[in-house]
Amino acid sequence: MLEFRTAGFNPYSVKYSPFFDSRLAVASGANFGLVGNGRLFILNLTANGIACEKFFETQDCLFDLAWSEAHENQLLTAGGDGSLKLFDIGVGEFPVAGWQEHQREVFSVHWNLVNKGTFLSSSWDGTVKIWSPEKKESLLTLPVHSCVYSAQFSPHHPDIVTCVSRDSHLRVFDLRSKPSAQNHLTLAIPIHAQPKVAPPGMNRMNGPTECLTHDWNKYRDSVLATAGVDGVIRTFDLRVPSGPVNAMPGHEYAVRKLSWSPHLSDVLLSASYDMTCRVWTDGSNVDKGGEGIGFGRELGRMDRHTEFAMGVDWCLFGAEGWCATCAWDERVLVWDVREHMRGP
Amino acid sequence: MSSAQSRISQVASHMSATGRAGLLEKRPDDIVITSALRTPFTKGGKGGFKDTAGADLLHGAFVNLIQRSGIDPKLVEDIAVGCVLAPGGGATEFRAAALAAGFPESTAVKSLNRQCSSGLQACVDIANAIRGGMIEIGIGAGVESMSTQYGPGAVTEFSELLENHKGAAECKVPMGVLSEQMAKDRGVSRADQDKFAADSYRKAGEAQQKGWFDKEIAPLKVKWTDPKTEEEKVITVSKDDGVRQVTAESLGKIRPAFAKDGSIHAGNASQISDGAAAVLLMKRSTAERLGQKILGKYVTASVVGVPPLLMGIGPWKAIPVALEKAGITKDEVDIFEINEAFASQCLWCANELGLPMEKINPAGGAIAFGHPLGCTGARQVSTLLYGLERTNKQIGVTSMCVGTGMGMAAVWVKE
Repeated sequence: MLEFRTAGFNPYSVKYSPFFDSRLAVASGANFGLVGNGRLFILNLTANGIACEKFFETQDCLFDLAWSEAHENQLLTAGGDGSLKLFDIGVGEFPVAGWQEHQREVFSVHWNLVNKGTFLSSSWDGTVKIWSPEKKESLLTLPVHSCVYSAQFSPHHPDIVTCVSRDSHLRVFDLRSKPSAQNHLTLAIPIHAQPKVAPPGMNRMNGPTECLTHDWNKYRDSVLATAGVDGVIRTFDLRVPSGPVNAMPGHEYAVRKLSWSPHLSDVLLSASYDMTCRVWTDGSNVDKGGEGIGFGRELGRMDRHTEFAMGVDWCLFGAEGWCATCAWDERVLVWDVREHMRGP
Repeated sequence: MSSAQSRISQVASHMSATGRAGLLEKRPDDIVITSALRTPFTKGGKGGFKDTAGADLLHGAFVNLIQRSGIDPKLVEDIAVGCVLAPGGGATEFRAAALAAGFPESTAVKSLNRQCSSGLQACVDIANAIRGGMIEIGIGAGVESMSTQYGPGAVTEFSELLENHKGAAECKVPMGVLSEQMAKDRGVSRADQDKFAADSYRKAGEAQQKGWFDKEIAPLKVKWTDPKTEEEKVITVSKDDGVRQVTAESLGKIRPAFAKDGSIHAGNASQISDGAAAVLLMKRSTAERLGQKILGKYVTASVVGVPPLLMGIGPWKAIPVALEKAGITKDEVDIFEINEAFASQCLWCANELGLPMEKINPAGGAIAFGHPLGCTGARQVSTLLYGLERTNKQIGVTSMCVGTGMGMAAVWVKE
């Protein structure tokens, strides 16, 4: 396990570069992101552990970051002051571009993986905005009317956008649809709805709770996972939009971040306020010949963080188990998930 | 609100913990138990309390509760007493018992009857009154003198109207008879019942031998007439006298009580007993202010209805409801105290809920040491909390079936 200390700053998000297997970035804020500066760390995995290649300072806390899919040296940050900033690692100490439209804290940014010319942001102001790096104003604003903790483009389609929000709904927007009163909204799925089949050990029906994170499955183009304040990870299949298909309780406090494996279609990683990062299977085992249905379960956990775990990301390259996590203990840990899996 | 303030409250709103973690959190407005005790349970008609009035047993429980907790009796605002058999619910003599025990006239007393769950209902009523702000400190109690008050007089004759309504008339079917039918219908074999009953005796025997009940039992000094010599003596009763050495084989020889080919008998059903129990409840903030030692907390309770003829399935229906309210799963519960009205129904409920046997009644139950009807629900609180303490566990559930077709369950946390 490799470790890096973000001394004086509490990390909110960690992301692997999509271009280099040894490069990481961390978005963080002083004083737990409540008040004070932000810092964007660019880290390199070296033979002598993790080294900080460069960092950028910002006026307010940084809550999220996204690597550019088009340019290997560029990355985007989500600011507490409502700003989006594009930094270039090769260019000085200031951002090369910036956008200021959101009225409140920006909680997530995401780069379009298919059409690499757009990215999006989501904010406490209750909107999701679609942007182009070339344009000063946003291309589109999608109103959600509830604090949007996480928004993403589908990794399978350039015009499908999803988001989760305080109001316990998973929304799907199709940007190809005609702009109308619907504002491209095509689905709003209640996250707290009862799963079709209640998993063993889960006999309670939680009411709506804030949803803090979600992620698209990288292989199955209609499958997503969500998680939030009730600590339950749920999977959804957009072909069955009435509610979750699977629910995986286990985390004792809110889940802050989820990430599906880039290598295995049934595996996902979570980071929680209970200070653990856990690895799960949703039980589908599609790549092992399963039918895509089954009960999810925890495969293992990493409990070395000593404060709220806030961010997780998988390494896209090399062996299939490497990941990075960050927590309010001012640490970034790079570790191999396989070492934390329980025996069969 | 400044941006820093609103960010703090946002993170705080993410922290409303769920499941076990949320349950174990300590909040100033938690309803806590600072003392829980019971008298010994003795055999109806022949045990140590056969000549003691129910109100006197209750008096004994009150006196000991005041003594052990060190609570100033003036601070207790209300007492609820569960009792099933006393005429008039026992309302008059229970108020009198409270006064005699040292509570001032300012301490109110009520009696209530929800059959076998009366003792639990009394604790829940007091907890709710505290939570609702009606009172600050109260006592949930239960008492039953089956020696002196058990008999046909306990049920009023049914009117023609009730007799002619199927569901209503079924409320009158004796519990032994309907449980026999239920055991037959649900396929609970005599051998399984006897094994469950023998286990209850074994566990209670072990508990007695190792002194597990010492902390919850308050010995009482009472008058007792020797049936052989008619001589009246003063004796000190300090342990349950229903516990005895049995095996599944020895139970297997007892004749069924309710049907020739039946499976229920005196050895695998709850005993007829005398006893009282009391639980002192208040808010955590109050307990801390008064320096009361906190034993545990009351979390939530459920009450459900089931068909009168299937009253034995009550816990099966009530327990999941209570767990759901508490936001936990059955796997997160360390001990279940489920009243053993009949081995058949307790076993059926446990199996149907998929509860591991080692979590159920680890110190035995009503089959081994008795079921003074209105008292049992309050008794389970002390047995559970001291059981959790002994095993260094935290979360417990008490539950029972209720005659006429109901079930109750409550969730408790040892601290």
